[in-house]
Amino acid sequence: MPREVLVYIFSSIHQVLRAEKVLIRSGLPFDLIPVPKEVNPDCGMALEIELTEADDVMAALTRAGLVIEAVYRRRGRDFQLLPEPRPTS
Amino acid sequence: MSRIIYCDQAATSFPKPPAVIEAVTRALTEFSASPGRSAHRLSLAAARTVFEARESVAELLGVDDSSQIAWTLNVTQALNLALSGLVQEGDHVLTTSFEHNSVMRPLSWLARTRRVEVEVIPVPPGGQMDPAEFSRRLTGRTRLAVVNHASNVVGTICPLKEVKKALGGVPLLADAAQTTGAVPLDPIEEMADLLAFTGHKGLLGPTGTGGLWVRPGLALGPLVRGGTGSRSELEEQPEFMPDALEAGTPNTHGLAGLAAGVRYILDAGVETIRRHELQLTKIFLDGLTQIKGIKIYGPTDPNMRTAVVSLNLAGRSPSDLALTLDREFGILTRAGLHCAPRAHRTLDSFPKGTVRFSFGIFNTAEEIEAVLTALDLLSRRRT
Repeated sequence: MPREVLVYIFSSIHQVLRAEKVLIRSGLPFDLIPVPKEVNPDCGMALEIELTEADDVMAALTRAGLVIEAVYRRRGRDFQLLPEPRPTS
Repeated sequence: MSRIIYCDQAATSFPKPPAVIEAVTRALTEFSASPGRSAHRLSLAAARTVFEARESVAELLGVDDSSQIAWTLNVTQALNLALSGLVQEGDHVLTTSFEHNSVMRPLSWLARTRRVEVEVIPVPPGGQMDPAEFSRRLTGRTRLAVVNHASNVVGTICPLKEVKKALGGVPLLADAAQTTGAVPLDPIEEMADLLAFTGHKGLLGPTGTGGLWVRPGLALGPLVRGGTGSRSELEEQPEFMPDALEAGTPNTHGLAGLAAGVRYILDAGVETIRRHELQLTKIFLDGLTQIKGIKIYGPTDPNMRTAVVSLNLAGRSPSDLALTLDREFGILTRAGLHCAPRAHRTLDSFPKGTVRFSFGIFNTAEEIEAVLTALDLLSRRRT
């Protein structure tokens, strides 16, 4: 059974690289992947995050003022759009 | 190559730090790919290069959000972007008699094509303008004021903070061509609403680099429209920065060099650079007063100028003096109007202009002394 991950979509490569910088500084694990064409036609990159890191990642990105366009829960080739890409706290 | 003394730093800085050359070479040899478009490792390396360049300029300018900096080819394009993107039909725009043609020509075009009223505030030849001149001229239609942070002809530094205060809420576009990397900045939001800069002068980068910082919340239209790698499904330009004002593949190789140049300046410290350049300017101005037939233009107080000195030598035209300095002494200057005819009219040096000496981080006191010796020799020679 394929593992589940979260895919974070940003408006531009600039925001993706800002997020990368924030997560490296915060010591949080992530992977940079091409934007999955199943969910977005952009040419750029997206962040892939383990489910267990989701809260810490969201908190770090929000603290840095990053606007996340969308978050998808991915299992293999199935993508589920999460209703609210920002933390509730 | 025989020895040269490069005194044309206000045009383009030379030499460049070795780190700039290495960064451009590395970009060309290791990741000549399209940034932010494809998603392979070389494209990502290119995108990171562009991103880091933006972050380093933001650090130098004291800007929190680097996405508010849009890349352009040079300061001229940045000024055109700001003017064309902000000024609408029938608007009123304030500027000064010390501006470069990179401001005056787009303003003339706006006056002709969008019926924009351009009001030029006269600047005293030897000194600074009175910021209150701006508040006195504000109308309900004043859309923008545009001034240089320092004159490219005589180096006069403009009190941007006071001008901005005098403008109330009217946006101020600062032409920082001569000051970025050379003059310490006040907090940027107190100095301007838009700041146009170039990469190849005080920032020590390659030509073909520059940009425009836009205060968050201030929206303006782009100069060019096209691919950004974002919102690819749409045929309209995205509205978020920096993509809103950028289109097409950027000058990644040049920006790699620019980032290295800015890093060099951040390490050296703008205060230190300013002290060095001011010291050279003082030596030069002091020495010039001892040479017969020299007329110096601009402020007498060196603290009021960048390391730019315009002069004329009695009995010689500016072009003849510059040519002789080059051919006989290897001293490289710039003669003429410096693309700022109105500034020269203000200084009463139109149409022949002046010979401009401009110094930078890599010029030395010994070089300035050699220039003074050459000028002294020429002043005694019969033409």
